Amino acid sequence: MIGSEIVTGLTIGAGYSLLAVGVVLVYTSTRVLSLALGEMGAFGFYLGVKFYLHGVPLLGWHLSAFEAGITAIVVGALLGFLVERFIMRPLTARPGIDKLIVTLGVALVLALVELNFISFDPYPAPPFLGSGHFVLLGATLTTSRIAELATAAGAAGVLYLVLNRTKLGLATRATTSDPTVARLLGVKVNTVYRFAWVTAGGLAGLAGALVSNTNGVLLPFSLTTALLSSLAGAVVGGLDSLGGAIAGCLLLGVVQNLAQPYGIAYESGITLVIVLVVLLVRPQGVFGRSSAF
Amino acid sequence: MPSDSGFRRPQVERRSLPGLIVALLALVVVLAAPALLPGFKLDYLETAISFAVAALSLNLLVGLTGQLSIAHAAFLGVGSVVAVELGSRGLAWPLVFLGSMLATAGAVAVVGLPSLRIRGLQVAIGTLVFQAFAVDLANSTGVLAATRSFNRPGYLQSAGHIYYLSLAVLALVAFLLRRIRVTRAGRSFVAVRDVEARAAAFGITAGRTKLLAYALSGALVGLGGALFAFQQNSLGSAVPFGLQPSLLLIAVVVVGGARSSAGIVIASFFIYALPSLAPSGLSKYIQVVFALFLILAVLFQPEGIGGVLKDLNQRLGDLVAGERERPNPRPMPTDPVEKAHSATALRQVPRSLSGRLPVPALLSARDVTVQYGGVQALQGLNLEVRRGEIVGLIGANGAGKSTFFNAVSGLAPVRGSIRYRNRELTTAPPANRSGAGLVRTFQDMGLVRADTVRENLLLSQGWLARYPAAAGILGLAGTLPTEKELRRRADMALDLFGLDHLAEERLGDLPYGTMRIVEIAAAVAAGPDMLLLDEASAGLTPEEANQLGYRFNALRDELSLTLVIIEHHVPLIARVCDYCYCLESGRLIAEGTPAEVVAEPDVIESFLGAGSLKPARGSV
Amino acid sequence: MSAAGSVPNPLLEVDRLCSGYGSLQVLFDVSLTVGPGEVVALMGSNGAGKTTTLRTITGLLKTMSGTVRLDGRNITGQPPEALVPQGLVMVPEGRGMLRELTVQENLELGAFTNSDRSSVARLMDQTFTTFPILAERRQQKAGTLSGGQQQMLALGRALMAAPRLMLVDEASLGLSPIMTETAFNLIAEVNSTTGAAVLIVEQNVLALDLAHRAYVLEKGQIVATAEGAEVRSMQGRLREAYLGAGH
Repeated sequence: MIGSEIVTGLTIGAGYSLLAVGVVLVYTSTRVLSLALGEMGAFGFYLGVKFYLHGVPLLGWHLSAFEAGITAIVVGALLGFLVERFIMRPLTARPGIDKLIVTLGVALVLALVELNFISFDPYPAPPFLGSGHFVLLGATLTTSRIAELATAAGAAGVLYLVLNRTKLGLATRATTSDPTVARLLGVKVNTVYRFAWVTAGGLAGLAGALVSNTNGVLLPFSLTTALLSSLAGAVVGGLDSLGGAIAGCLLLGVVQNLAQPYGIAYESGITLVIVLVVLLVRPQGVFGRSSAF
Repeated sequence: MPSDSGFRRPQVERRSLPGLIVALLALVVVLAAPALLPGFKLDYLETAISFAVAALSLNLLVGLTGQLSIAHAAFLGVGSVVAVELGSRGLAWPLVFLGSMLATAGAVAVVGLPSLRIRGLQVAIGTLVFQAFAVDLANSTGVLAATRSFNRPGYLQSAGHIYYLSLAVLALVAFLLRRIRVTRAGRSFVAVRDVEARAAAFGITAGRTKLLAYALSGALVGLGGALFAFQQNSLGSAVPFGLQPSLLLIAVVVVGGARSSAGIVIASFFIYALPSLAPSGLSKYIQVVFALFLILAVLFQPEGIGGVLKDLNQRLGDLVAGERERPNPRPMPTDPVEKAHSATALRQVPRSLSGRLPVPALLSARDVTVQYGGVQALQGLNLEVRRGEIVGLIGANGAGKSTFFNAVSGLAPVRGSIRYRNRELTTAPPANRSGAGLVRTFQDMGLVRADTVRENLLLSQGWLARYPAAAGILGLAGTLPTEKELRRRADMALDLFGLDHLAEERLGDLPYGTMRIVEIAAAVAAGPDMLLLDEASAGLTPEEANQLGYRFNALRDELSLTLVIIEHHVPLIARVCDYCYCLESGRLIAEGTPAEVVAEPDVIESFLGAGSLKPARGSV
Repeated sequence: MSAAGSVPNPLLEVDRLCSGYGSLQVLFDVSLTVGPGEVVALMGSNGAGKTTTLRTITGLLKTMSGTVRLDGRNITGQPPEALVPQGLVMVPEGRGMLRELTVQENLELGAFTNSDRSSVARLMDQTFTTFPILAERRQQKAGTLSGGQQQMLALGRALMAAPRLMLVDEASLGLSPIMTETAFNLIAEVNSTTGAAVLIVEQNVLALDLAHRAYVLEKGQIVATAEGAEVRSMQGRLREAYLGAGH
């Protein structure tokens, strides 16, 4: 019994990892905590679902469910590009709190646009991946959960390869280590920042589609709430460590799932306690590096 | 060098008659609202007022202390829920309000605990998680049931009465914020926001100060929550306390302007009252546009509406009274001998302030070692400073000179003994050391650039005003005379250094050389026995550096101060110092009179480069 | 003060450069030149403005006025990443190690702007031949190297860009006398074998032994220059600048 609970918890945690990967990527390259990623992903999927339901304006052509998902990724990546170019770049020299607040502003604007101009009630749950189940170690996993798990693993794997085997990845790691020295070596750090935000935005779009599909809900701020668990997991595991953040998310997924039968307040309550304790005892996270805190 | 945060660039107020008239007109309209608006529209205004209170309380955290809370709507909810609980049990409404304030202060302080440990913004994530938890908790228990009601007293039932009560609470909160700003608590918050690593030099313990800010903010938002519960009489859903309202509160603080209560109140009106008062199609546009303003404000107008108001106020004033003359930023050279009376007055710290008689200063360091990880910044340093001396510390880059100052002021981990007036310093907490009469300056400016010159001189006297925050805010028990005395001392120090015409200027606007002199004036205002000056001549022109040497002598002769100065510019040391120590790579390599030290081969080699005194080598 | 014996067709020409931080001006009309293949020393004590000069030339710091020309082309205000492909690299103060990356990765980054794989491989081999110690430690993280080894890595990394001009900021910082000598010898060797010009910014007078020409910077102004044989005798002038007149 407990085994199945843990397995379910792990898959939930894997779902959180997808957003956490984006958060860590942006944080390590730019030292900015992007609280906008949830809504950036949601916005893309909102558009995708709208075009699926009502067709693309001026073209009248209805998207398939799959294409709705692709829209989410593309729009998320585009938002990432715009935010980096026009909002984050002018603020490079400003203190962290300003940058954090502005990402909240982006989330707020997107959520309000979703609420006032694109909402649909109820959420029509485009039939993405069918409704099959698998049973693993006693735990029942829907196909959408499996998809989340597979995508998170795939995204983390691909990102790991990019960071460690490509020139862009090398440039990103150099920028993380010391942006000034990277510039002196000829690295165009603005390109690195753009890569981080666009990738994080695209991943957020993907997460938006998958998470909404799993939960059967798409509301303004529903993805920011999901982002919250990713953030908590990343804080616990280490904001500047990709592997650490994923481990933190998995742990959090398991803990939340074990607390779930007691009530929804227990889930978020135990998350709160864990986050506060980690911040007090080991602020850089279990696997994070001690600098810069 | 870090640039100023956009938020922290307020202009100094200029009073203008037209501005005052506009404000009075606005006040009349606000007071007349119950006569002008139907009952249900008045309700919207009241809700706006409650949220304005919440925004003002958030400003204490964000604008003043540099901490971010993404849960202030949830905390407002905590206040409301507690108020309904207490009210429904029949407690008198003032006590209910008080109870809400205490409960919410506690809640915010608990969530803010990580700020004791970390400087970064991860604390904000903690608040975000609390926001989610609070909503879940409220929805899963019965605390929001419409069956529980506040039980308002009979004499406060009418719409008009509730409205005026709300206005009174708003005015009270604005007044309290102003009091916080001008007393020691507010100065500590600003110091923690801008120069946290250095705050101990002003007698401020960063962790406790931040926690106090969280608690005070909590108390104020709890008051707002109680007011909201009072207005609504019973709650019923968690919607006003959710994530979106929390984000809107942040938007209000930013768009309103972090230094301007008036701006925040106006912004609150726009986002909370206007959408309901305006025709229905418009309200969703108002919300989105406001959120866009948040982003635009951060990018282009960090002072928000408050900044726009101040600008307008100044222009109106200039229009009516003519352009104001900006004072010359160069400090006027003053002859310290003429100012002898100020000098001796500064030197004598009144009994009531320090509770201690001035005593000859004596600093002795024995076998002082400072190690950072694997690096020995100081090794076995032996150093002595006698009363009335001017002692110089010289050495090449990385010699450990600033590290020694850090060791003395408690900003570096130390082994060995540092005694000051026969008291062991190394065991005293950093925030207490300036209380011993030791004041230091920093190589790269330890003051708050966003504040005025005078405010900085008040900040540096932190150790002289150890009253509790609450007493200061409420003006109790002699805190008002203390503040008055601090002001007097600040003005005397400004006078002594020829800076009095710059008292109201924002420090960051002054030329670099003048800023350095302000830093010395701030140090002197604190009434120390011993002054540690770190690279005071850095960035000064040759004439200014010359003047500085003259001032050092005057500080010793007129103020009976003992000085320890770190300098790169060795000729200045040679002119001014009685005794001199030369460090290299953390070790003392020479001591004596400046002439002796500068002639020593080890010292010459240290400056010209290792191995430079070997016989000339053939070309490579 | 005009540069003594300005070289015709200089590789680097700095003309009346003024810069600083915010309201603090640090450099006042600094002018200097570096000819192709030359080693030029810019000497000064702490706070003189040496690092500020290099940061302004490489575009890390905004110029208040004045120009910087590379091979006659105006490069004033261009960011450092644009200068590397033009043949200008800097070894920053403190060596600028990318601590979490390996020695090999640091070297690869040195040739970041070079898209020709085979030439990069060739440069890497050359660098490992010149610095065998780095070859032994190629997979070690740069943060674990000793000070002297880091200096070697910094120089090797600069060489990977096949520069025409190398700016070296206080190579001797934190190094023992022996390591300082080694570092200076390496720089001289690099200059003679690759023909790269070097502008070496230093406090340590030993740097004068390598230099064809030298400038002295004091409080943001050039106060003395020398070339050829006169360079050696600048030592006395420097003593005066660092420790005051009369020594």
